[in-house]
Amino acid sequence: MGCAESLRVQAYFDGEIDAVSAADIERHTEHCAECRALLQDLEQTRTAIRRDLTPGRAPPELRARIMRALDQETAVKTPRPNEWGRSTWRTRPFWVGALGGIGSAAVAATLAFVLLSPARTNPVLDDLVAAHLRSLMPSHLIDVVSADQHTVKPWFAGHTDVSPVVADFAQQGFRLIGGRADYLDHQRSAVVVYQHGPHVINVFSWAASQRASPKNTTRNGYHMAFWKAGDLEYCAVSDTGWDELLGLVRLLRDLSARDARQ
Amino acid sequence: MDDKRGRFEAEVLPHLNAAYRFARWLAHSPGDADDLVQEAILRAFRGFDALRGSDVKAWLLAIVRNCHSTALKQQQRRAFVPLPEEHDAQDGYAMVATTPDPESVSIHRDEERTLERLMSALPEEHREVLVLREIEDMDYREIATVTNIPIGTVMSRLARARAALKARWLKEAEGERRGVR
Repeated sequence: MGCAESLRVQAYFDGEIDAVSAADIERHTEHCAECRALLQDLEQTRTAIRRDLTPGRAPPELRARIMRALDQETAVKTPRPNEWGRSTWRTRPFWVGALGGIGSAAVAATLAFVLLSPARTNPVLDDLVAAHLRSLMPSHLIDVVSADQHTVKPWFAGHTDVSPVVADFAQQGFRLIGGRADYLDHQRSAVVVYQHGPHVINVFSWAASQRASPKNTTRNGYHMAFWKAGDLEYCAVSDTGWDELLGLVRLLRDLSARDARQ
Repeated sequence: MDDKRGRFEAEVLPHLNAAYRFARWLAHSPGDADDLVQEAILRAFRGFDALRGSDVKAWLLAIVRNCHSTALKQQQRRAFVPLPEEHDAQDGYAMVATTPDPESVSIHRDEERTLERLMSALPEEHREVLVLREIEDMDYREIATVTNIPIGTVMSRLARARAALKARWLKEAEGERRGVR
């Protein structure tokens, strides 16, 4: 496929371009034999697939099985631990690797911190610090690498239980670098990752519970800012200064407020 | 809770057939496909509260695909090697079963099976975009959502998938002609 226009010709065939570009392509194919042949091929392939591969339907037994599974799911109010085990599997190999490598110091620090913490500790705080530290170790910072909110946001839909606000604030100094799924407070939380100068800021989000949000605090040198927006609880964690961290929090809160008004 | 179940049945379950078709193209056996769909529907139900106004079908198929790759990773512990973006139009012929059944009576039925076999033998990255475009009739943005790749990659992958299918079809036809003589 040598012609530089072949992808646009395909987009034309798939009805993905506007009328002006379509006229462009039609003119082009009058002169380009290769693209005319391409259009023919595309048409043939489509016809063959749609004629020969008859669309299947879910068998009734499967449908019944799924309804029974949903019945069970609705009957059980709180998630069983082994249901959630699945999503934590992902991080296992990572922990194994981290303990052998440079991550061990940080893990030890977290463990010591967890063990030495007074009993009043909110478990979510520990989870958050641990998750932030985990993210700083090799290859677990980002699952979806993108500076485009339209890539990061839909990604969360398939990988986490929540859909947080996402935007690139490069203008204000907070560059969107990607997203990640993390296990937190018994759910698959969404983490949006920003970069501010040399600092990484993890913005965690999860479905808010009845209990009040923790107060902003500092643990192990990491600042943690909490807020609620809609039915989601957010926490931004970073070793950047409070002013910078709260700056990002303000931007995100404004964004949530704008979204809510729409 | 019942309200959630009702909304879920009204909004998500209409796409059960699409989820099943997609699973059949991803999974290796009908049994695997059933398990995959069930797992995906349960996950979708758990995550349903977080779904806001976006395309439900693309959302559900993305979950199917995600469950499939999780299952795959658990099955084969070896590292997943993604296909190179280029030079893959001619690969994988070895996977195509070599001799079509010579006693086939109906030509149309034979073609049907040939096409199905050729599609199944395509690399998964190619097969899924073709299925989503031609069978599920999804647009580029929806395909990008399901497969979690940028739209530009959807376009180039789709082009390569179509070219690969056509090349295999031609090769198959040529082989049959030779076989007859």
